[in-house]
Amino acid sequence: MSAVTNAHDHQEAHNGHELPYSAQLRNNRMALWLFCFSEIFMFGALLSARFVLWGNARPELSQVVGLITTTVLLLSSFFMNRAESAIAHDDRKTFLSGLLMTAFLGLLFFIGVVVLEWNIFGLKLELFGVEWFGHLKPTDGVLGGVFFAMTGLHAIHVFSGIVLILIVWNNGRRGHFSAEKHWGIEATAIYWHYVDIVWVFFYPALYLIGKVG
Amino acid sequence: MGTLRIIATSGLIRGLIGQAIGAALGFGFVTLIRLGMGLESNPEPGAVFGALTSVIGFLAGAGVLTDWSKWALGKETPLRHGPQPGKPEWARYLHVDYNHKVIGIQYAVTSVLVLLVGGIFAITFRIELSLPGMQFLTYEQYNTLFSGHGIVMIASILLGVGAMVNYLVPLMIGASDMAFPRLNAFSYWVSVPAAVLILTGMAIGGWDTGWVAYPPLSLIAPLGVQLFVLGFFVNGFSSIAGSINLLITVATMRAKGMSLFKMPIFVWAAVAAALIQATATQTVGMALLMVVTQRVIGLNFFDPATGGDPVLYQHLFWFYSHPVVYVFVLPGLGVISELLPVFSRKPLFGYRWIALSSLGIALVGFLVWAHHMFVAGVDNTLRVFFMYATMFVAVPTGVKFFSWVATMWEGKLSFETPMLFVLGAISVFLIGGVTGPILGNIPTDMHLHDSYWVVGHFHATMFGGFVFPFFAALYYWYPKFSGRMYKESLGKLHFWLMTPGFWLMSLGQMQIGLLGMRRRVADYDPSLGYDTTHVVITVAGLIIGWSVLIMAYNLISSARSQPLAGNNPWNSRSPEWQISSPPPEFNYDVPFEVVGEPYDYGLAGSVYIRMDPSSSGE
Amino acid sequence: MSDKKAAAYRLGIVTLVVLAVLTALEYWVSVGLNGSPVFLLIIALIKAGVIVQNFMHIARLWREESH
Repeated sequence: MSAVTNAHDHQEAHNGHELPYSAQLRNNRMALWLFCFSEIFMFGALLSARFVLWGNARPELSQVVGLITTTVLLLSSFFMNRAESAIAHDDRKTFLSGLLMTAFLGLLFFIGVVVLEWNIFGLKLELFGVEWFGHLKPTDGVLGGVFFAMTGLHAIHVFSGIVLILIVWNNGRRGHFSAEKHWGIEATAIYWHYVDIVWVFFYPALYLIGKVG
Repeated sequence: MGTLRIIATSGLIRGLIGQAIGAALGFGFVTLIRLGMGLESNPEPGAVFGALTSVIGFLAGAGVLTDWSKWALGKETPLRHGPQPGKPEWARYLHVDYNHKVIGIQYAVTSVLVLLVGGIFAITFRIELSLPGMQFLTYEQYNTLFSGHGIVMIASILLGVGAMVNYLVPLMIGASDMAFPRLNAFSYWVSVPAAVLILTGMAIGGWDTGWVAYPPLSLIAPLGVQLFVLGFFVNGFSSIAGSINLLITVATMRAKGMSLFKMPIFVWAAVAAALIQATATQTVGMALLMVVTQRVIGLNFFDPATGGDPVLYQHLFWFYSHPVVYVFVLPGLGVISELLPVFSRKPLFGYRWIALSSLGIALVGFLVWAHHMFVAGVDNTLRVFFMYATMFVAVPTGVKFFSWVATMWEGKLSFETPMLFVLGAISVFLIGGVTGPILGNIPTDMHLHDSYWVVGHFHATMFGGFVFPFFAALYYWYPKFSGRMYKESLGKLHFWLMTPGFWLMSLGQMQIGLLGMRRRVADYDPSLGYDTTHVVITVAGLIIGWSVLIMAYNLISSARSQPLAGNNPWNSRSPEWQISSPPPEFNYDVPFEVVGEPYDYGLAGSVYIRMDPSSSGE
Repeated sequence: MSDKKAAAYRLGIVTLVVLAVLTALEYWVSVGLNGSPVFLLIIALIKAGVIVQNFMHIARLWREESH
C-alpha cells in the first residue's frame, strides 16, 4: 500500500496477496509507534549523558528565548492536530491551512534554535532587557557539547518533520487523502507530536534544571 | 541479455556507482566550502559528510528509494513481484526485490561472503602472531586487521541473522511475506554501503581501537576510525528497520489458529532478538555519533579536561553491545530447538519454557553490560550488581540446554549434516558458556580482562550460538530454498574438519589467556612459553577456513548437479515443508489453519496444520 | 458529523490550554522552586501523556478503527 491514497479512488488495485486497507493501516500504525518507542532509547541516551556530564549544572541560556521556542513548538502541535482532525472530517480548507501553519511554526522553532540560540551568524542584540542571541559555543566544554548535541539531534528531526509536512501538504492540495483514507497525515502527525514530546523533556533538562555554572 | 550486461546493470552495481558518486559529491562539497572559508586542510569533515552522502547515493542508485520517492510525489506503486522483464530469475538476487525469500538469500550470500573476508583478515594477522617478533605486518596494519576482523564478523553475523529470520519467519507463520516488503529490501541493501564504508576505512588510514572505539584513543585514531564508526552507525538502520518489520509481522500476520504458543519455536527466538535490536541499537548509535561529532565538530563528551567522561562512552556502548550478543545467539539457539525434534523424532521438551527463556535471556541481557567494565574504575556497588546479574543469565540459558538434552533423550537420533552441526553447536556453546562465569566474577575477571581467555570465550559463544547453527540452518533449509539436496559426504567432511579444529583453537586460546597472553597486541614475549600454542591456534584457524570453503563449494555446485529434494526430505511438521521446494512466489496459495501442536513427533495421528482450503471465504 | 468535528477541534484547543498552563507551571517551578528535577519530571510526564492521548491518539492502537 502506498502512503498516498487518492481521495477520488474507490476501487483498490487488489493483488490477491496484498493486505486489505484496514489490515495494512493497523500494521503501519503499530510500526510507527514501535519506531517512536525505539527512538526513546536514542534520545534517552543523550538525556542520560546530560545528567551524567552536567550533574546539577547547566549553561547560561536565555530563558525568554527558551520559553518562546517551546511555546512556538507547542502551538505547531496544536495546528498539526487541527489539520489531522480536519481531514478526518472532510474539512479540506482547515486541513491544508493547518498543515501550512504547522510547517511555518516549525520553521520558526528551527530558526529560533539555529539563529538565536546557536547564533550561527554571530549576531548580538539586546532588546527589552533580553539577550536575543546566544553566546554558547559547541566547543565550550561539556556544557556546549551536550547542548549542541541535544538541540542538534532534535533540530534534525524538526527539519525532517517540516519536509514531511510540506510533502503531504503538496499532495493534499492536489486532491490526495480523504476522511476515510489519510494514513499519510496521521503518520506525519504522530511523527510531529513525537518531536514535540522529545522537546517536552529536553526543554527542562536544558533550561530549567540545575544551576547556571 | 548477456550475463555481463545483466550484472553491469544490476541494482548492486548501480548502487556501488551511486555510492562512489555520492561520496565524491559529499566530500567535494564540504572540502570546497572549507577551502572557501580559509580553513586548514583536513580531509576528515569531507570524509564524514561524504560517507553519509555515499550511503544515500548507494540507495538511490540501487533503486531502494524509488517507490518511496514516488509516494512523496503522490504516485501509486504496485508491489512488484518476479524478475524484471527480460531478465532471468537469478538476476533478482542482484536487484532490489521485495520478496522475503529473495531478500533472505541475499542476506545469506552476503553473510557468507563477508564471513570469508573477515576470515582472511583473521588468518593474516594470526599468521603474523604465530611467531614472536614482527614478520610481515607493521603494528598499524596488525591493529587495523584485528579491528576490521571484529566489526566485519559482527556484520556477517547480523547479516546471517537477517537471512534466517527473513527467509523463515513468514513461511513459518503462514504469511505470504513480511509486513513491509519495501522496508525489508531497504534493511538488506543499506547494509551493503555500510560494509563498503568499513572496508574503505581499513584501506584509507586504518585504525587501532578494535571494534569498540573507546575514547580517548578513538578521538586521536587515524581517519579510518571515522569511516568504521559511520559504517557501524549506518548498519544500525538495517537492524532497527528489520526488527520493527519482524515484530509487526509476527504480531498481526499469523495463520488462523496459530496462537503464540503454537508458533514454531524459531519465531520466538526471532521475536526476542528483534526486541533487543529495535531498542538497544539506538543507544550505540548515539555513542558512535558522539565520537564522530567530538572528532569533527569538537563537541566535548569524553575529554576529562573540560568536564567529559570517557567511561560514559563505555556505558552507552556496552548498553547495546552486550544485548547484541544475544541477538547473535538467540536465533541460532532457536535453530537448535527447531532441528532437534526433527532429528530425534520426538517432541520438543518444554516448548513453553524454551519460548519464554528466549525472552528471559533478552531481558536479563539488558541488565549486565557493565561486566565489560569491571576494570574501568566503575563504582563498587554497581560492579557487584552487574556481577550477580551476569551470573543470572545462565539460568534461562540452562533451561534451553536441559530441554535439548531431554528432547534427545531416548529419541530415534539420525546424524545427517544439519544434526551434526547442531550437536557441534551445543558442544561449542557449552565451552563458551562455562568459560563465561570466570569473566563474570569480578576477582577473576581482574586477571583475565583483555586476555586471550576473553577471546576464547567469545569465539566459543559466537561459533556455538551462531556460526554452527547458521551452518546447520544452511544445510537443513538448503533443499527448501534451492530445490535440491546438498552433497552429504562434503557436509560431513566440513563438520569433521571444522569441529575438532574449533575445539583446538578454543582450548588453545583459553590456555594462553590463562598464561597471560593479552588480546589486541601485535607481538608477545617469547620467553612466556606459548609460541607453540600460537602456531596451533593459527593452524586450527586455517583448517576452519578451509572447511568453510568446502561448504561454499558444496552449496554452489549442488544447485546444479544434485537430485531434486522434493517437498519434505526431513519429514518435518513445520509449515514450510508442506509446500514445494522452492516455495511458490507467495508461499501458501491457500492459507493453512493450525489444528494441533507443532512438535508432536512420534505421536500417532497428531496433526499440526491443515492445508485444506478453509470453509470461510476471505 | 459537524458535531464530531467541532468536538475534535475543541479537544485540540483544550489540550493546547492544558499544555500552556503546564508550561507556565514549569517556568514557575524553575524560578520559584529552584528547578526541582522531580517536579519538572512529573510535569513533563503529564505534558507527554496529554500529547500522546489527545494528539497522537494512542488508543487507536488497540481500538478497532478503520481510520
